[in-house]
Amino acid sequence: MELKVDQDLCLGCGNCVVACPVNASISPEVYGGHGPKTEDVIMMVENGVIKLFNESKCTKCGTCPLFCPTDAIYLE
Amino acid sequence: MLFGMCLLEIYILKINVSVINTHGVQMPKHIVSGLKYLTAVELIRDGLSQKEVAEILEMDRSTVSHYLNGRNLSWNSIEVAEIITKFCPKDFLTLTYALLDNSEKTRIIVKTCSKKEFQAEIEESCIGCGLCADTCLMNAIVLDDLKAHIDSNWCNGCLMCRDVCPTNSIKIFGGK
Amino acid sequence: MVANTKEVKDKDICVLRISPEEKRELSFKDEQCIGCGICEKICPVEAIELGDIGAIERTGVDESKISVDEEKCVLCGMCSSACPVDALELKLDEKSIKDMEEYPKLIKTAEISDEECIFCKACETACPREAITIARVLPDRSKLVTGEIEIDKDTCINCGVCEEMCPADAIEMEHHEPTSSDPTVSSDISVNKDKCVYCLICKKACPVDAIKAVCRSCSYGEYDLKPEDSEIKGSSFIDEDACVNCGWCEEICPVDAAKVKKAFEGELDIDLEKCEACGACVDICPCNVLSFPESTKPGEIVEKLKKDETFCIYCGACENVCPVEAIGVKRTDVDFTPTKSKSWKKQLESLKT
Repeated sequence: MELKVDQDLCLGCGNCVVACPVNASISPEVYGGHGPKTEDVIMMVENGVIKLFNESKCTKCGTCPLFCPTDAIYLE
Repeated sequence: MLFGMCLLEIYILKINVSVINTHGVQMPKHIVSGLKYLTAVELIRDGLSQKEVAEILEMDRSTVSHYLNGRNLSWNSIEVAEIITKFCPKDFLTLTYALLDNSEKTRIIVKTCSKKEFQAEIEESCIGCGLCADTCLMNAIVLDDLKAHIDSNWCNGCLMCRDVCPTNSIKIFGGK
Repeated sequence: MVANTKEVKDKDICVLRISPEEKRELSFKDEQCIGCGICEKICPVEAIELGDIGAIERTGVDESKISVDEEKCVLCGMCSSACPVDALELKLDEKSIKDMEEYPKLIKTAEISDEECIFCKACETACPREAITIARVLPDRSKLVTGEIEIDKDTCINCGVCEEMCPADAIEMEHHEPTSSDPTVSSDISVNKDKCVYCLICKKACPVDAIKAVCRSCSYGEYDLKPEDSEIKGSSFIDEDACVNCGWCEEICPVDAAKVKKAFEGELDIDLEKCEACGACVDICPCNVLSFPESTKPGEIVEKLKKDETFCIYCGACENVCPVEAIGVKRTDVDFTPTKSKSWKKQLESLKT
C-alpha cells in the first residue's frame, strides 16, 4: 500500500498536513495548525498544492484521507 | 518430469542403452517387471510362499512362478532393476514410485529391496505440521500429540522429510 | 509432491494442502479479524503478514487485513490456536483443531446465565461487537392490575374526552365521518380490558359521569397478584464469532449474570507526550477501550487520549496502528489449554512480551 496524491483534485487547504500524526511528531507546530518548518515532514502544501516530501515515513494509519475534503490524498 | 529426469540418470549411468532404444515406450513396464522379480526373490528368501508373494505384489501365482524361474522376463530388465535398487535411497524411491504409479506396491518393493536400515530422531522443535507425513512416499510417518514419529521399519532413508521440514527437526541416522 | 493451493474469496483466504492421507485447510475470515497481528508473531515460518490495518479500517481500502504466503505456510495451525478472535481456523479432514484435544487453545469464554439474567438488555447495548442478542417476553399487563370498568352507553355522549386522556389507549371508539343525517363522530364506545390499567382517569374526566370503574389492585395492595404473572421471561445469545471477550457485558450487568474470561493479561501504556491524537487506535480498538475525552466546561484542556483498561484484551492492534509509537501493549500472561508439544508451548509462551 502506498500514499498517493492527486494534485489536480487538491485545494491546497493543508488539512492533511496538520492532521498527519507523523508530521506533528516531526514538526510540532503542525499540531497547532501551523505550516511545518522543515521539509522532513511527509507532505506539505507548496505553491498551493499538496506535495509528498517523504512518503517512506508514512505508516498508513489512514488519518489524512479522513480529513481531505476532495479525496486528493489517498492510500492505495 | 520426475520420470524424465530419472531416465536421464539411467542413461548417464551407461546402462544398456540398447534396451531403452529397442523397447521404446515399453521400457517402464520392463523395469517394473525387473523390480517385481527382485522383490519376489527377496520375499521367497525371507520364507514366504509363492501364494503370499503373489498376494503382496498383486500378481497371478503363475506369473510369480514364471518370474522365479526366469521366464517371461528379460535379463536386461533385471540388470536395470538391480542398478536402480542401488541408487541413493531418494532416487530409488522416487523412480520406483514414478514407474509404478502405485503407493502401496512402491512401499513393498522399496522396503524389500532396500538393504540399509535407518533410525530417525524427531527433535522437540517439531511443530506437527504434517508436511513430512504428507511427503513420505513410504507412509512411515505419523503425527502423535503434535509431533512426528517415524517408523524405522518403513524408513528407506530418502531424507525427503528432512528436506521439507520447516523447523529442521528431523535427524536420520544409519544407512548401514 | 504435496503443494499448497490458495483460494481468495472477497477478503477471506483459504490455504489448502491435500495429500492422499489428509486434507489440511486453513481459513481466514476477514470480518472477524481485529488486526492484532498475533498470527504474524506466532507463525513459525513467517508466512503471515499483517496489512496496513489503519488504512484498511479507516479508509475502506479493499484489502484483507492479513496476507498468507501459501508457498511458506506449512498449515501447522499455530495461528489458528493463537488467534484471540477465531478469525483463523485450521481444519484437518474437515474437523477443526479447536475440537481436537492435542491442540492447545486460548482459554477465553463469555457467558450469560439465563437463570440470573433479568433481560434488561444493558449488555446488548454496551457490547462493542454487537455480539449479544437478548430476546425477552414481557408479562401480560392485564394480569398486573385488576379491576372493573363499565361505560353506560345511554349516558355517554361520545365526546371522546376519555379516549383522548386514557394513558393506556384502552378506550376504543367507532369513529365515522359526521353526515347531515348523523352529525356525530362515533357510533359506539368500548373498553379493551387487556389494556386498561384501572387508573380511573376516564372516570374522573367524563363530563357526564358515564363511566363506573374501580381498581381492585389499589384497595387490596398486591394481595391478589400472582408472582408468576409478573415474571419477565427471555433468553440470551452470544455470537461467538463476533465476541472478543472484552468484558463490557460483565461490567455493565446489574445482576452479575455475565461472566467473561480473557485469554491474556497485561498492561496498556500510552505515552501522552508522543500521542498526536490521530485517532487510529480509537478506530481500531475492538473493545472500546480508547476514546477522546470531552471537556466538561469551556476552556478546559483535556488529555489527548483516555483509556479504560478494564475492557482491554491486550491484543495489540492499537500498538500496531499507532503511527508515532505512543502505545505499548505488554502481555504478562497467556492462558491456554495444556499441550504435550514443547514447541507449541514455547511459541504460545512467546506471545508474552
